[in-house]
Parts: sequence; structure tokens; C-alpha cells
Amino acid sequence: MAAPDHLFNLRNNFYLGSYQAAINNSDLPNLSPDDAIERDCIVYRSYIALSSYQLVINEIDSSAATPLQAVKLLAQYLSNPHEKESTIASLKEWLADPAIGNNATLRLIAGIVFMHEEDYIEALKHTNTGGTMELHALNVQIFIKMHRSDYAEKQLRVMQQIDEDHTLTQLANAWLNLAVCGSKIQEAYLIFQDFSEKYPMTGLILNGKAVCCMHMGNFDEAETLLLEALNKDAKDPETLANLVVCSLHLGKPSSRYLSQLKLAHPEHILVKRAASAEDSFERAVQSVA
Amino acid sequence: MMKHYTRPSVGRCIRSEVRFCGGLTVGEERKKMLTKFETKSNRVKGLSFHSKRPWILASLHSGVIQLWDYRMGTLIDRFDEHDGPVRGVHFHMSQPLFVSGGDDYKIKVWNYKLHRCLFTLLGHLDYIRTVQFHHEHPWIVSASDDQTIRIWNWQSRTCISVLTGHNHYVMCASFHPKEDLVVSASLDQTVRVWDISSLKKKTASPVDDILRLSQMNSDLFGGVDAIVKYVLEGHDRGVNWAAFHPTLPLIVSGADDRQVKLWRMNDTKAWEVDTLRGHMNNVSCVMFHSKQDIIISNSEDKSIRIWDGTKRTGLQTFRREHDRFWILAVHPEMNVLAAGHDSGMIVFKLERERPAFAVSGDSLFYAKDRFLKYYDFSTQRESQALTIRRPGSTTLNQSPRTLSYSPTENAVLICSDVDGGSYELYVIPKDSIGRGDSSQEAKKGLGSSAIFVARNRFAVLDKGNNQVLIKNLKNEVVKKSGLPVPTDAIFYAGTGNLLCRSEDRVVIFDLQQRLVLGDLQTPFVRYVVWSNDMESVALLSKHTIVIANKKLVLQCTLHETIRVKSGAWDDNGVFIYTTLNHIKYCLPNGDSGIIRTLDVPIYMTKVSGNTIFCLDRDGKTKTIVIDATEYIFKLSLLWKRYDHVMSMIRNSQLCGEAMIAYLQQKGFPEVALHFVKDEKTRFKLALESGNIQIAVASAKEIDDKDHWYRLGVEALRQGNAGIVEYAYQRTKNFERLSFLYLINGNLEKLSKMLKIAEVKNDVMGQFHNALYLGDIQERVKILENAGHLPLAYITASVHGLKDVAERLASELGDDVPPLPEGKEPSLLMPPAPVTCGGDWPLLRVMKGIFDGGLDSIGRGAVDEEEEDAGGDWGEDLDVVDVDGLQNGDVTEILEYGEVAEENEEEEGGWDLEDLELPPEVDTPKASGGARSSIFVAPTPGMPVSQIWIQKSSLAAEHAAAGNFDTAMRLLSRQLGIRNFAPLKSMFLDLHTGSHSYLRAFSSAPVVSLAIERGWNESASPNVRCPPALVFNFSQLDEKLKAGYKATTAGKLTEALRLFLGILHTIPLIVVESRREVDEVKELIIISKEYVLGLQMEIKRREIKDDMVRQQELAAYFTHCNLQTPHLRLALQTAMIVCSRAKNWATASNFARRLLETNPTNENQAKMARQVLQAAERNMTDAAQLNYDFRNPFVTCGATYVPIYSGQKGVSCPYCTARFVPSQEGQLCTVCDLAVVGADASGLLCSPSQIR
Repeated sequence: MAAPDHLFNLRNNFYLGSYQAAINNSDLPNLSPDDAIERDCIVYRSYIALSSYQLVINEIDSSAATPLQAVKLLAQYLSNPHEKESTIASLKEWLADPAIGNNATLRLIAGIVFMHEEDYIEALKHTNTGGTMELHALNVQIFIKMHRSDYAEKQLRVMQQIDEDHTLTQLANAWLNLAVCGSKIQEAYLIFQDFSEKYPMTGLILNGKAVCCMHMGNFDEAETLLLEALNKDAKDPETLANLVVCSLHLGKPSSRYLSQLKLAHPEHILVKRAASAEDSFERAVQSVA
Repeated sequence: MMKHYTRPSVGRCIRSEVRFCGGLTVGEERKKMLTKFETKSNRVKGLSFHSKRPWILASLHSGVIQLWDYRMGTLIDRFDEHDGPVRGVHFHMSQPLFVSGGDDYKIKVWNYKLHRCLFTLLGHLDYIRTVQFHHEHPWIVSASDDQTIRIWNWQSRTCISVLTGHNHYVMCASFHPKEDLVVSASLDQTVRVWDISSLKKKTASPVDDILRLSQMNSDLFGGVDAIVKYVLEGHDRGVNWAAFHPTLPLIVSGADDRQVKLWRMNDTKAWEVDTLRGHMNNVSCVMFHSKQDIIISNSEDKSIRIWDGTKRTGLQTFRREHDRFWILAVHPEMNVLAAGHDSGMIVFKLERERPAFAVSGDSLFYAKDRFLKYYDFSTQRESQALTIRRPGSTTLNQSPRTLSYSPTENAVLICSDVDGGSYELYVIPKDSIGRGDSSQEAKKGLGSSAIFVARNRFAVLDKGNNQVLIKNLKNEVVKKSGLPVPTDAIFYAGTGNLLCRSEDRVVIFDLQQRLVLGDLQTPFVRYVVWSNDMESVALLSKHTIVIANKKLVLQCTLHETIRVKSGAWDDNGVFIYTTLNHIKYCLPNGDSGIIRTLDVPIYMTKVSGNTIFCLDRDGKTKTIVIDATEYIFKLSLLWKRYDHVMSMIRNSQLCGEAMIAYLQQKGFPEVALHFVKDEKTRFKLALESGNIQIAVASAKEIDDKDHWYRLGVEALRQGNAGIVEYAYQRTKNFERLSFLYLINGNLEKLSKMLKIAEVKNDVMGQFHNALYLGDIQERVKILENAGHLPLAYITASVHGLKDVAERLASELGDDVPPLPEGKEPSLLMPPAPVTCGGDWPLLRVMKGIFDGGLDSIGRGAVDEEEEDAGGDWGEDLDVVDVDGLQNGDVTEILEYGEVAEENEEEEGGWDLEDLELPPEVDTPKASGGARSSIFVAPTPGMPVSQIWIQKSSLAAEHAAAGNFDTAMRLLSRQLGIRNFAPLKSMFLDLHTGSHSYLRAFSSAPVVSLAIERGWNESASPNVRCPPALVFNFSQLDEKLKAGYKATTAGKLTEALRLFLGILHTIPLIVVESRREVDEVKELIIISKEYVLGLQMEIKRREIKDDMVRQQELAAYFTHCNLQTPHLRLALQTAMIVCSRAKNWATASNFARRLLETNPTNENQAKMARQVLQAAERNMTDAAQLNYDFRNPFVTCGATYVPIYSGQKGVSCPYCTARFVPSQEGQLCTVCDLAVVGADASGLLCSPSQIR
């Protein structure tokens, strides 16, 4: 029998969006040094997911291991958009360093950063070889972002071959199902449903289910799920964004959610899209007139 | 008896010879027998099943006949009157009788109810081998070593026929189950079939029998009653057994030639059909199975063999190590067999009778014959789901053993023992339920158990490697996982978990974490039943039920003497289970009890309220309604729901010693009180519960000294002085009573006691009372009267009763005792009572036991509430504990901090290692280099929104895709729209609503997903549908209704806003069908009319001074196409306005039109009639209006002047409003969107228009 996977719960909590639970339950005994580093990475990444960037920047000092340094870099990138050029520069510098350039976590962070930069080609340059489930999952997401579900599917195949029941495999499968739409939406829904039966409900799972419902045209159920998610976290950007969309479809007022979102997450893609839409409306009026 | 030694049989010799060969084992499949019951005894030679009760008779070589209950496993009775071995025994079908025959040549008929032998039939001249009752006539057939078969009438107790012909020992003889035939087997190597129909004709009246008896001698040789019909020759050694088939004209026989032979007969002849070879020694007995097409034989080779009746091949062999088999019995109705051997007997089954089933929510799936059946608990309807493999007939027990069902995938796993353990996976087609005719090729695999562990994953146990294979629905191995304990079966334990069973324990194993979540020592678990919420599990063993929580923490263990069969959880968390003969319950605290008895075993599938759903042994679904009162009552007690308990006591029939004992034992004597009628028990319970009132009432009823005494003790304990007093009074315990008065300070009563003592002449009592009362004179008097003069004197003198002292002194004369000297005389005086508790409160009449009872229950409930409050307190304490914990946490956190520090230190150490690491890291670098050089990133694909645009010429879809300029161009071209400002929010909403947001990888940018319209289950992936739009037709419909409502209510601006809103949304609406397109177009017209009308009406209200214009606008408004109620309002307004302006002619026209609409509002009609009347008097108009109602017209949307038919006008390309020609090129004032008179191709709002 293989050794128990001590980090299983931690990872799962992290992947499924129970960041606080991941942080709270990270005090695991008898970890191997490698596991301990992975543990720390996940904890710090959970803090990042909770937007506690400064905590991460402060706690990881220069003596920490490469993966942790990479995590710190991500915190720096996300916390300070004005200095992202310097962050990206040091990221590139590290990636070029043969000693650490191949570190999986560093590559993962690179992928995430370049995704934010919308430089998918650069992101893929570092992530495409995979090596960890996380890298593969990120690849799936990058390909989805690039509207290349065919490539995403190939990545998913790889993941399925490694471990079909891995949480990330299941998640990536759900992402892809949502991206390709059609009958696959049901499968995505079932995957989130499985998660909700097996693990404590999180905003991420609820949002996943809600998105499936919306895509199946069931906006009433989506709203119920989203309101449940809003109860868990009133400031969750995706919950708010999806509630805006859902309310629009239900013919209900959506402006409050939108203003909440604008206040709390001015950088959210929905806010940006709305702003650019307004611009393009004015421009279009000009051009048509 | 001596004859035994002179027996010339060859067979006997072989028997002793082969004893040594018995040990040889043959390489044959060895199967475990499904033994139900086993006895150890002397050699069993005869067996007989009772047809109705679970009883079996075993006659022993020792001469004893045993009557066993094989279900309970108990010896019911033994009958020991035969001298020497009893070889034959048989139950009567309907009477409480059985017959036995032994080596003492005696046939005995017994009544088992009376426990005695009724009579003995004598006549045989040698050992009797078998005896058998006829199924309808009062006959017994017996076979004997005297070479004869005899038929007896057990009513007349005479022999009615002797069948001669065999020329060696007759080893067995039996009646045919239906026809007038007897079959016999003999060591003369033949089987004979006898015709006894003539016997039947001479209907056996006792008189006949006596007559017959006289003829007997002549019949003895060549008798005519029974004649040999066939002699079956074929065995070449002595035949030990022959038996008829229950329905077919077949005979089976077994002989010392080790063969079993099958014979067939018809009316004229009988012939050998086949020979079954396989036994290694003398075949002692052979029979047909009563239900199945199989033959069972046993032999002195220590084996039982099962043969296929049609194929005549061996199906199975059961062996014993040391015991030769002698006899078999087949139950006439049930699937149970028995075999007698050298050291006892066994009762066994050939095949399991439990149908394999799986419960999921409201559905039950179970296997029956070759069908998978589906049963809906709510509708109680059953249907066939699909056809499954036919159970193989090469061996027994191949039918499905377990079922596992995945509701989401509608897939079923069926496990059986085929091929030493295998499973089959079927997916039930959705539409086939109810048809059940679909038969599909199952996916198969080997494995001793297989269960679903997730929606689309199942686990298969690979016992050999002690691992499980996780497979997907394609039957492909997805994962392998070793198991933490040697496992011989796996069960479901929640998604992703397995419950692994080993010999003496079960564990719950998480397949993903590879962690043992729980571990429990149990007896060998057979079935696992999870509660509906998956929080509790019941582990059923043969005689034990273990209840545990989902982490396998033991809750309680129950032992049963009878085998446990099945169970299910009810909604209250009570485990309901069945044993062989009972339905029972088990409460969460381990209390159990019987709900009802069962005639036949059932397999429970679900409990819902009072209804138990179950399957029987024939695989039929059944429901049983049970009385749940008792366990619900106990459960309520357990949960301290006293209100419920009370109402149950009031409303239901709960009684019985058991319940009282239970309540008492569980510490609820006050509740038990209400079930008891017996006063002594009531008294006891009342004392126990401290209910003194009831105790008094009972004590009065009982009225004996002991009970009064015990009442007094309890009352005293409670400090209820009144009852103590009453109790003492009733027992006439004056001393205690006095003392009670003393301590109560009840001096009055005390003095009464003194009087009573005086009357009773109880000097000591008198003295005590006087002493208690501090009455010195009385004391002196008592002492004096009692003759204790010195004492009386001393008492008197000490207390200063000089007169008395002197009188006594004189009486004493010289004997005056000296008073103690040097001491201050201070004598004890009882203290004066502070209060006097001397009331007599108890003689109030009890209102009746029940009232009192309920009162006390009420009180009990209050007490319990207090207890509950106590519970709260307990929680308070818990809170303190939590505080403690939190403190603990703080220290933990502190520790954690330290650990963290240590970690940091360690990491400091790591730095050094890091420095050493680079060479190692170098290796993968090569591949790193490789990746960047070889990998070519794919070009980005096309966003869905772009696909939307490509396909569409619908403005709304372009807007949703964010391509506002093309959307606008489309609208401009189609509808002539130039003013887009009113459409801005619609554009933005469409765009915003077109995508949903999915948080995928943590911290990576969120994925926005295009929401598509018209999704359905069978849509193929990757084929893009048009975008989902936030506006739809039904919303507009609602807006229209709201607009009407606002109009009716007179909220004109609100109404106008709504109708304009409709007009502003329609350009961006998309509908599916042509019909809907027409509806949309219609909606434009309706809205346009209202917008125009409302605009005019609002305008009219604004004009205050120009009466003519007011009238005109009001008049035009009535020509808008409105709903009737609104038209009435418009007409009414116009009518009023015109009347006011004395334009009676016009007003009367409006009034007439109003009346034509048949107004429902009486006021309106009345007003119209008044106007008409007024107008009739003066049919003129005061002012000239630009209004000619006789000439049809439309109103210009901008200038509000009529455009009569024939006059020139231009229209809005979108809303179709008409305008005077001068408005051409202006923005339409009605819809505020399009340019009047602009070119436009027309509304395009549906893909159906394009196709």
C-alpha cells in the first residue's frame, strides 16, 4: 500500500477555494522536507488568493526555497500593478537561470503572471511541458483562454492518464466542459455536484454549479446558488459578477451587485468589459451617426 | 435380533470394506454448504420435515426420536420408547401425528402435542426400514427386512395389506404423491412399483379392515389388493432407496452398486433412463427436489451429490470428513433439505434465497430470475428495467449476490459467484424502464465484490493482491489502490470511500487520501446498511448488529439468538431490522425490542413512517404496516421529548409488563406509573418516583402495615409531616407518632397522645408523652400511679412541687430518698415550638388516578424542563470548556509559532543544502531547454463572441457580442433607427449578460464563458449556439400588462414609460418562430397606439386654457386603438370635456360610443345616458373642433392633427406611427428611435426570418 498522502486535504481545500480552511488546517505533523515546502507554498498561495499579498511578501524572506520565492513574486506582481515591469523582469531573470529555471512552482507562477499579461504564448513557453498536475491544469486554462479547446482537451487527457480522479483533473474537466458547451455542461454540473457532496461547500463550487445552470438556461437555480455563495462571501468577485449576469437574465435589478463589484474589485473583467462597452457604444454612435 | 449376524448381504460386506476408501479426496470443486442448522447425536437414520412449522424429526440409531426446531436451533422434544435403532420416521401432513418404525419390529404412531405414543402396530417380523403416512387416506406404508411391505390403517389400527414379492430386505417403500402407487427398493437388486388402486376401491372402513384381516392369510401370498406393476431391474447390487418424482412419471433409485438410476414409466411399462455415476460407495438415499429440477443423493462415501435433473450431470458435491450419510429429507414446500449422518444431521439449503437489491432514494432495484426489476417506493409500482444474464446451471448459487446502483449514470453492478466471483455492469437506458425488454451485452469482470464508489467509478476487489481496482463505466481500470487490511469484501461507505471487511473487523478507507478513516472490531459482517444521511451505519453479522457512526465509532452492539436477516433505517434514526422470525427495532442507545413476528423471512429494503418495504424469498415486493408506537415512545423518552411522551400516553394503547420494566429501568418510574393498574406496583413506582400522593392512594388501597411503614419512611424523607403522621396513625405506631408531634411542636396532639396512652393504659407511653410535654405534675402522677414513689418524690421536689413532694414524703415515710447534693437541679424541658405544623392535609380525595397521573406528568415535564435547563447549564459548562480549549488553542498557536521558528531555523539549514544542490538541478535543465525550443504554441482560436457575429444579422446578437457598431448599422438599415441613446442601457445589458465568470486556477485570471441560447441536453459540444440574451418576449408581455394596469390606474407617465420601454426593447429582441415574429410586430403597433394616445392625453392635461385643443386631443385619444376599458376611459374623458365645453353634439357621440362598449361600470353608463339626455335637448356644438368622427383618420404623432384617409402622410419605419408630410426626416416623436420616412428593410427579430 502506498504511503498516505498527507497534503491531500490541504491541496483539495486550496483547489476548491476553501483558502481559509487550507490555512487553518496546514499544521500537519511529520512532513517530509519537500512536503513541507509544498505545504508552505499552498498556504502562501491561499493567502494570495485571499488578497493578503503583503503578509506573503513580508513572511517569505530571501533565504526561503525557490518555490516560495516564486510565490512571493506572484504576491508582488498582484499587489503592486505599478511595478509589475520590475517583477516580470526578475521573473524572467529567474526563469533564465538554469539552476532554478525549471522549478515547477516557478514555472507555474510564470504561467499565471503571463496569463495576467495576456501573453499566452509566453505563458505556455514555461508551462507546456507540464510535470505537475497544477501545470497541466493551468495549461488547460490557458488553452481555454486562447479558445483552443482542442489543445485543452489534449492536456486534460494527459491529466486523466496520470490520475483521473484527481481534484484538478476533475476541475479541469469541468472547465473544459463549460468551455465547449453543449451536452458537456451536464457533465460539468455533475462534477461540481460530486464535489459538493464530498467536500464542504465553497464559493468556488457554488459558482461552478451556478455557471453550469446559467449555461443550461436555468437562471432561477443559478440565482439560488449564487445567493448561497454570496452568504458565504459577500465580496467574492465571481459571485458578484455572476449575480449581475444572472439578474440581467431574470429581469431583476442588477445595479447593486455591479456597484459592489466596481467598489470591491475595480479590476474585475466584468467591470472592465462594462467600461469598454460603454466606450465602444459612444464610439459606435459616432461612427453610425 | 440374532438374525442380524446371519444377514447374507453382499452389500453389507462392501460397506465395511470401503470404510477405508472414504478418506480419499477427489479433485472436485469443493463448495461450502449453506448449512442452516446442525446437530450432534448418535447416527441419524430417519428424517422428516414438518410441512408447516420449522420442525424436523430425526430418528437415531440409539432408539431415540428427536424433534428439533431447526430455525431456533432448539430441541423441542424427544421420544424414547423404541428398543433399538429407529430407521423410519414420518410426520402426518395435517394432524399432530408422526409415525416411526424400528428394529424392534414395531410401528409406533405418536401425537407430538400430547407428547406420547398413541399406539403400536405389530405385524412385521423383522427390522422396519421406512414408514410413511399416505397424504390423504389414513394409511401408513412400511418396509421391512421381513421382505414385505405393509399398508396399515392407523384409524382402525390394522394392517390392511401385505405386499409380497421382494426376495430380500425391503429397504424403503413410499406412496406416490398423487396416484395409487407405491415404490419400493430392495436388496434383491430390484425396484418395484405396486398398484394399490384396488385397495382404495375397497374403501377402508374399519369393518372392512377386520374382514380383510380374516382374509389376510389367503392374501399373504399372491394377494389381490396390491399387485406388482413393474419390476425395475438394472442395479447390480442391493437397492437402498427409490423415490417418485413429485409431478412427473419418474423414479430415482440409489444402490450399493454406487449408482443412481433414473427410471421413467407410463401406463404400461417402466424403463431405465439414465445412470448417474460418481458416488464412491453405497448410495444410501436419493430424492428429487420438490421445487427445482435437481436430484439429491447421499452415500456412505461421506458425500452429498447434487445432480442436474435434465442434463444428468453432477452440479455439486458436499463432503464430510468422517461421517457417512444415511438419509435425506426434502422439505415439501420450502427450499430446505436435511441429511442424516454418522454423528448427527444437517439442515441445509442449496441456494441463497435473498434477492440481490440496491436502494437509491425512492427507487429499489433488485434481481429476479433473469430480470433486473425496478420498484418505485412512492408509487409502489414495479417494472422491469432490463434483462440480465440467465443464471448458469452448471453449478448452483450463481444468481446475483449483490447489486450496486449509480443513480446519476443509471448504471447497475451485479455481482455473483459465477467464475469464483465476478461482476457485470449494465447501464439502464433511460427510456427502457417499464419496457424491460432491452437486453444488452454487459461489461464483465472478475472480482469477489464490486461497488460504485462515485457517480462514474466503481471499485472491484482483487482479493489475491489485496487491492481494489477503480474502474470507469467503460470497464477500464483508472486506478489501483492497495488495501490497509486483508479484505474479503468491500461495501459502499460514501463517495470515494470503501468499507473493507476482514474476518474480525471493518475499516473505512479513503481511496484518494489512502487513509483509514475508521476501524472497528466486529464479528464477521454480512450486510452493511447506511442511514439515509450517511451518518450512521449498521453492520449486520449472523447474530450481531453493530451500530456505528460514519467514522466507525461504536454506538451500540446488539446480540440476537436468531439469525439477523436485514435492516433499514427509519426517518428518526431508529434501526429497524428483521431476524428469521421477527421485525425488531434498535434505538440509538442500543435498546431493542420486537415490533412483530414474521411467518416467513423477509428482506427489508426501506422503512417509511409505519410502512416497511421488503422483498420476500420469491423476489416479490411487499409492504408491511407496523405499529411504531412502542419504539417511537421510547425514542421520545430518549430524546426527552416529554410533550410527545405525554400525548402518546394520553392517546395510545401502551401497556405491558415489559414497558413498565423498561420505564423503571430507564429511570422513568413516574411515567411507568401511568401504565400500571396493580396497586402494589403502583405503590412501588410512586415511591420510586417520589410521587407521595399516588403512594398514599395506593397505600390506602393496599392498606397493610408494611406499605404504610414504607410510605412513612418516604414521607419522612421528603419531610411531608402530614403524611408521616397519617402513615403512623394507620399503623398505630404511637411512639413514633408522639415523637413526630414532639419534633413538630404539635403540643396539642401530643397531649391527645397522652390521653390515648392513658386510655390504653400504656404507662411508658404516658410517661414519654408527659416528658415530651414537660408536664411535671402529670409525670409525677404517672410515677406515683405506677408505684415509683421515690422517683415521683424526687421529680416533684426537684421541680419545686412542694405540696406533692411533702405528700409523697409522708407516704414514703422513712424511705424518702436523699436529693442529690451539690448540684443545681436543672431538668430538661422540651423547648417551646417555633411553629406548629399540625394540620391534617392528606385526607383530600384523589381526583382519580389518571388526572393525578397527568398532573404529575405535567410536573414531571416541568422537572424535566428544569433538567433541560440543566442541560443548558451543561452547555454553559461546555462553553467554559471551549474557553479552556481556546486557551489550549492559544498555547497550540504559541507552540505552532515555536514550530514555525524551528522551521525557519531548519530552513536556515536548508540554505546550505540549496547551495549544494545546483549540480542535481542541472540534469532536468536539458529538458527545460528542449521544451522552449521544440514547443510551438498554438495560435489563439476564435472567441465565441466573434463566431456569434459571423453567423448573425440580428442586432441583439451583435450587441451581445459587443459589436455595437454593426448592431447599430443593422438597426439603422432594418428599422431606420438613428437615435441610439435610448438603447444604450439595452446594449450594455446585452453585452454584460452574454458571459459568465468561472474562477478556475487560483490567482490566475478568471475565465469568462460565453452563455448560449437554447441549450438542450443533447446539444453537441463545440457547436456554437447564438448568445443568450437578457431580453425576451415574455418580459415584454409582462411589461405590457404593467402598462395596461398603469393606464387603468391613471398613472399616465408611468404607463407611457412602460410602453416606450417596450418600443425601445423590441429592436433588440429575438424570438424563435414566425408566429412570435408576428406577435412582436403586433406588440409594436399596440405600444405605438398607447404611446401616442398617452402622449396626447398628457399633453391635454397640460393645456389649461385652450378648451378647443383640449377637446380635440381628448377626441383623438378615443381613436387610438386601445383596450376596451381604456377606450371607455378615453371616451368618458372626451365626453366630459366636451360636455363641459357645451359641445353637446360631439359629447353625445362619445356618450353613444361609450354605451356601445356596454360599460360594466354603472356610473359610466349612467353618466353617458345623462349626457345623451342633455344633448338631445341641444344637439349643437358650442365650438368648432378639428374633428370629424364620421371620416376615418389617424393622428399625426408629432403635431396631433388628424390625417384623414386620402390625405398625404409619412410614417415611422419602426413604430409605424403616421405623421404629416412636414415631419419627414425628423426623429419619430412616438418611438424616439427612427427617422420618419427613412428607408428600412423591416423588423428582423428571429433567425426563422433569415432561414
